[in-house]
Amino acid sequence: MGYALVQILNALSFSALLLLTGLGLSVVLSLMNFINLAHGSFYLLGSYVAVYWFASGAPWWLAFPMAFAAAALAGALLERFPFRGFYARTHLMQVLLTYGLSVIFADLMRWGFGAQILSPELPEALQGVVFLLDIPFPLYRLFIIAAGLVLGVLLWLLLDRTLWGAVVRASVSDRGMVEALGIDTRRVFAAVLVLSAGLGGISGALGAGMLAAYPGLDEEVLVLALITVVAGGLGTFRGTVAGALVVGFALTFSKLWFPEFANAAAFSAMAALLLLRPNGLVAPRQRQV
Amino acid sequence: MQLLLAQSGNIMAGRAVEFLVEDDQARPEEGVRKARKLIGQNKVDILCGVISSGVALALRDVVTEAKVPTFLLGSANDLARKAASPYIVRPTKTNWMLGHTAARWTHGKLPQARALTVASDYAAGREFVGDFADTYRQLGGQLGKQIWTPLGNADFGPLMTSIAMERPDVVYGFFAGSDAVRFLRQWKEYRLNGRIPLIGTGAFFDQEDVLPAVGDAALGTVNTFQQSPTAPASAAFNQAYMATGKPLPGEFSTSGYACGQVIKAVLERMGGDISDWENARQALFASPVETALGHMPFDPRNGQAILDIHVNEVRRGQGGKMINTVVHTYQAVRDPGPAT
Repeated sequence: MGYALVQILNALSFSALLLLTGLGLSVVLSLMNFINLAHGSFYLLGSYVAVYWFASGAPWWLAFPMAFAAAALAGALLERFPFRGFYARTHLMQVLLTYGLSVIFADLMRWGFGAQILSPELPEALQGVVFLLDIPFPLYRLFIIAAGLVLGVLLWLLLDRTLWGAVVRASVSDRGMVEALGIDTRRVFAAVLVLSAGLGGISGALGAGMLAAYPGLDEEVLVLALITVVAGGLGTFRGTVAGALVVGFALTFSKLWFPEFANAAAFSAMAALLLLRPNGLVAPRQRQV
Repeated sequence: MQLLLAQSGNIMAGRAVEFLVEDDQARPEEGVRKARKLIGQNKVDILCGVISSGVALALRDVVTEAKVPTFLLGSANDLARKAASPYIVRPTKTNWMLGHTAARWTHGKLPQARALTVASDYAAGREFVGDFADTYRQLGGQLGKQIWTPLGNADFGPLMTSIAMERPDVVYGFFAGSDAVRFLRQWKEYRLNGRIPLIGTGAFFDQEDVLPAVGDAALGTVNTFQQSPTAPASAAFNQAYMATGKPLPGEFSTSGYACGQVIKAVLERMGGDISDWENARQALFASPVETALGHMPFDPRNGQAILDIHVNEVRRGQGGKMINTVVHTYQAVRDPGPAT
């Protein structure tokens, strides 16, 4: 009983991590139809910021806003050049551009932060464990679950329940009409991209305690994020949440039940899912213009 | 390797040494391509390197066909057995040496222990665990569950909960690089450190790659390894290595240096001319070489080094740093070699 409960929490904490990595990618994809394969680089940048921040002795919780700010700044610069010119291009061009950039960033970060594996010294407050029916479960993982939940809800409120969110969605549907209302849509898109980059950064800061930080992690994270976003339904926000849960549980329980075929089992389940529902778990509503 | 060349002014046995580097990206086909390029285009006299066992096995036929003396650092057992080659010298361990000694140590310390194993599911992990299990069973030890995880595993949480439920008396494991760091951190997160003794291969607790990244999570764990920064043979190398601004050396840097020392020894014994490789090989195997991995005799059957295997315990050193500290040494461990 306790065992099952803790394993479910394990799966939930991994799902939360997947959600965090997928959110930023999903935001630009669903709102701007822009594929950003450099997202893993924002994540890794956030991880490095967190590792250095925790080591510096400053108040630990500031690491998360700092990681958000650092990645958002990088996102803002990239938005001016060259992302802006590629929003209207085909997906293939976007993939080429952002993948190329991610390779450059990987080398830059290797040069700046070194090739060794770094992992953060977690603050005392997050180091504890709770005992659930005599089985230990780390507090840090509860924190990840909570963070995933809070960020997910905040983002949903922002995009679905505020006027700003409505403007963003309207700009995607009919850019000309929104411009006619006197709103600079270029700015709107810039803001969305900065938000997405920042989300990548804060995810990196949150995930560093679980995944550590090292060259190559950017690609690993990107793959996880892509799987999450695609399984959930390309281009919908609710789908990303569903995708994170499905992938997280599939990977966790396949590890327990068929450890030797964990990846094969989990990914064939996902392939089957995509065959049955090619648009993912939550298919996007077709917009009519 | 570069350090040794710098120390000897790029001259070995009176000959200027030209040093070329290629990256095999740990992929066999890439390794073969690069080796062919070095042999065919650059006309190298000696090849040296390779960490991945897969690449090492793939190179075996290439260098044997081309008759190029090759010093391999990949540790697959087969290269000392059915895939041994007269053109290959291995100045490093075989996986068997580490798995075998770990089983002897575990059984000596905890004779009644039920041992659970956990490792990355690829060639090296299979060999380490297989050799540990064989020896442990022969000694009369009791084996529990065997757990495998894919290489590059992100989350060990579910495993930790499983291990906590199994309550084994000891865990034997093998992970490397980022897998090792994540495993050890989560081992501590789930409060298994200090509750269940953990023993593994040296790479799992590598001094350079892993220990600096895991804080005190590895404290008190034990590993069997041909390399240790506290082994007397390593002292001079430690100093030279750290003088270049590097941390305490781990396996790869030490093996690279030792490999260079072996190449230097064979060149010196042959007066700088190894065009007659059969003679050069005899000269190398005739007497041991002193290296950063200690006194190194070679097994003439397969060109495999016979090594001292240290039992390292991770202890707190000066300034709170975690250090692999030698607590026992199995002298002159020799791989069983090719079946006769």
